[in-house]
Amino acid sequence: MRSTSEIQSLVNRRQKNKSLEAPFYNAAEILDLDIDVIFGKHWIFVAVDPELPEPGDCVTVEIGNASILILRGDDMELRAFHNVCRHRGARLIDERATTIGNIVCRYHGWSYNEDGELILAEHMGSGFDKSCHGLKTVHVRSIAGLIFICLAKDAPEDIEDLARTMEPYIAPHDIAHCKVAHSSELIEEGNWKLTMENNRECYHCEGNHPQLTVPLSEFGFGFSPDELDERRSGDVKKYLESVARDHQRWESCGLPSAEEDHLANVTGFRTMRLPLSWEGESHTLDTKVASKKLLGSFTDAKLGGLSFWTHPNSWHHFMSDHIVTFSVLPLAPNRTLVRTTWLVHKDAIENQDYTLDNLTQVWTMTNLQDAMLVRLAQLGSEQPAYEPGPYSTFTEPHVEAFCDWYIKRLQNHFAETKAELAAE
Amino acid sequence: MADEKLTEVTRVPLWDPEQDDVLVCRQVRQETHDVKTFVFSGREPRAFRFYPGQYMTFDLPVEGMVTRCYTISASAARPYRVEITVKRVPGGPGSNWLHDYMVPGKEVNVSGPGGEFTADATGEDKLLFLSAGSGITPMMSMTRTACDLSEPSDLHFVHAARSPADIIFRDELALLATQNPSLKLAFTCETASANHSWSGYTGRLSLQMLSLMSPDFLERKIFCCGPALFMEGVRNMLQQAGFNMEKYYEESFDFGAETAGDLEEYASVAPEISDQTFRVSFPKTGHVVECGPGMTVLSAAREAGLLPVSSCQRGICGTCKSKLISGQVDMQHGGGIRQREIDQGKILICCSTPLSDIEVEI
Ligand code: FES
Ligand SMILES: [Fe+2]
Repeated sequence: MRSTSEIQSLVNRRQKNKSLEAPFYNAAEILDLDIDVIFGKHWIFVAVDPELPEPGDCVTVEIGNASILILRGDDMELRAFHNVCRHRGARLIDERATTIGNIVCRYHGWSYNEDGELILAEHMGSGFDKSCHGLKTVHVRSIAGLIFICLAKDAPEDIEDLARTMEPYIAPHDIAHCKVAHSSELIEEGNWKLTMENNRECYHCEGNHPQLTVPLSEFGFGFSPDELDERRSGDVKKYLESVARDHQRWESCGLPSAEEDHLANVTGFRTMRLPLSWEGESHTLDTKVASKKLLGSFTDAKLGGLSFWTHPNSWHHFMSDHIVTFSVLPLAPNRTLVRTTWLVHKDAIENQDYTLDNLTQVWTMTNLQDAMLVRLAQLGSEQPAYEPGPYSTFTEPHVEAFCDWYIKRLQNHFAETKAELAAE
Repeated sequence: MADEKLTEVTRVPLWDPEQDDVLVCRQVRQETHDVKTFVFSGREPRAFRFYPGQYMTFDLPVEGMVTRCYTISASAARPYRVEITVKRVPGGPGSNWLHDYMVPGKEVNVSGPGGEFTADATGEDKLLFLSAGSGITPMMSMTRTACDLSEPSDLHFVHAARSPADIIFRDELALLATQNPSLKLAFTCETASANHSWSGYTGRLSLQMLSLMSPDFLERKIFCCGPALFMEGVRNMLQQAGFNMEKYYEESFDFGAETAGDLEEYASVAPEISDQTFRVSFPKTGHVVECGPGMTVLSAAREAGLLPVSSCQRGICGTCKSKLISGQVDMQHGGGIRQREIDQGKILICCSTPLSDIEVEI
């Protein structure tokens, strides 16, 4: 068992621009701390609005040991509760997604209305006060259709910065009028931070992602200018030109495109609308739209791919015809759930406007390739010879940004705990 | 064949029920809150030959497969596509399936057209159409056809609806009446809600009302279509007025296919009788009980010797959720059911009292 002070010293001696020390990737106590501090106190991306289109629709999400139920009420607003009966603690909703009227515990019939108030508990006598036994609430917030929850009592307020910055980027893609075309759950055999780190760079793309790199240029995420051979420097030049040209075109039709980097926020995030190669329309093998029915009021298919990353657990790609969202949730020190959801226009008809195969293949393949890489990285972190290695400042600045954020959030946590102790 | 006498469009082959049996949905229109029109054509262009008032028979992939007849509501003078107009019936598998799943591009197996309920509104006869609810569809087809061909010669069109919001084709009929002076319209609504301004007739169709709507109805040929109880009421009324019933033609709007909802809907607006009892049937087990005023469906089921699952018995937990196959109930629930489930024909039997004879699936 590592003590808190041992973890604290691991945190404090972390060297900038280097990968984390091995216990961060494989120690059970550090995962417990991550679930408590990172996943328990930050805004976590868990679902999209079209998963709960109508009143009574409900989804459940597991974060560590906590099960949370998210419910759309008759007023169309979202509510989130701990999925635990206030009687003897039975889990209330056992399905990943369902539709309910009131929230009813099947154990002894305790029933809560959609606002979490206990409205029925039989045989509890006249002295029993129902009003003290409502469901425990959880913060929930939909940002233009992306649903975030926060388990902390006081949720980080800078979600407002994220909302203000991101809504103009995301809103034109009109998630409200999308439907879930497909979703997948992949368990990666690695620590959640390895999953995130892997996502924050494209250093590995050319060698590992033959499908993804058809539409997506590896250079969108940084490169070292002095090492490029002739072919690659030509590609870089072309890429940079297309950024300038496309950004101007997209901005002129009201689509924010410029990079926004708020990765150091408590609610850290980054976005940019990236040009796509060839036809430039979508993350597909032929780089054309996967769905003929464009989103929102788009008439132009060539809108590139809006990338949106959040700390600690998500990334998203918004194209003219479809959206792919990714939610990362830790299961164990060396096991991580990646939930991927593909959205298309709600009126798009399968096998007429799109086929699932074409829609999902780039990211299905890419996810499998990444899972393999994360597994290798995990295995490495468990070897005696592992020691933190250097990140490339050219291709891995966002990996560093992620680790730096993570370490700072832990430091902040230790500082707060110390302050609390001192105050007692 | 004297090809030069044909225009290009008439080269489209005729729909041949012996050979053709697949329709492709091309468009879906929401007519009222619970009525949709579905537009179909063949896979390849086909011209449909039908008499206005005829129906087609649809095989719908619900609960295995059900067969339902739906009247064509389109004009027979626009032969390249057919339309049906369908009301969502609580607990009606066919209409619910169409409403929920029939979208442009979807294919469906059909046969027909068939049926003999038809009138030529351009002919000599003075006509009176009397319809209620979805019974309007054959009348609409006849009226549209007549307007497309020339003009109805002398047509009174009377339609009874539950409320102004339930009048199907209201705007189109008003427009046709403006363009065709020989078409006269009259609507009556059971209730005029506060949300829709309503200046038409209110209440159930009565002899007195009919004499105002169509003063010379005794001289007309009458076509009647609607729920069975509506038509029964009309027959009684006409006989009472001394109408020559040889000039009376009627058709049940649904050919017995999906009578449930609309029949009972009409029954529910029959005059209130205070000590009325209703018949509650459970077709799965064959039990039937008479249910007195204020008795819940759950109590009725128990009376019949059934033991349906229930828990809170006050509409909160949802345990007793069941399917109302036909009829109407008054449900005072406590959040154990969502509006969308109610729209799908579900009820909580512990807090529902019948407003008509009902059938419940338990
Ligand atoms: S028994 Fe609870 S809703 Fe009917
Ligand atoms: Fe990757």
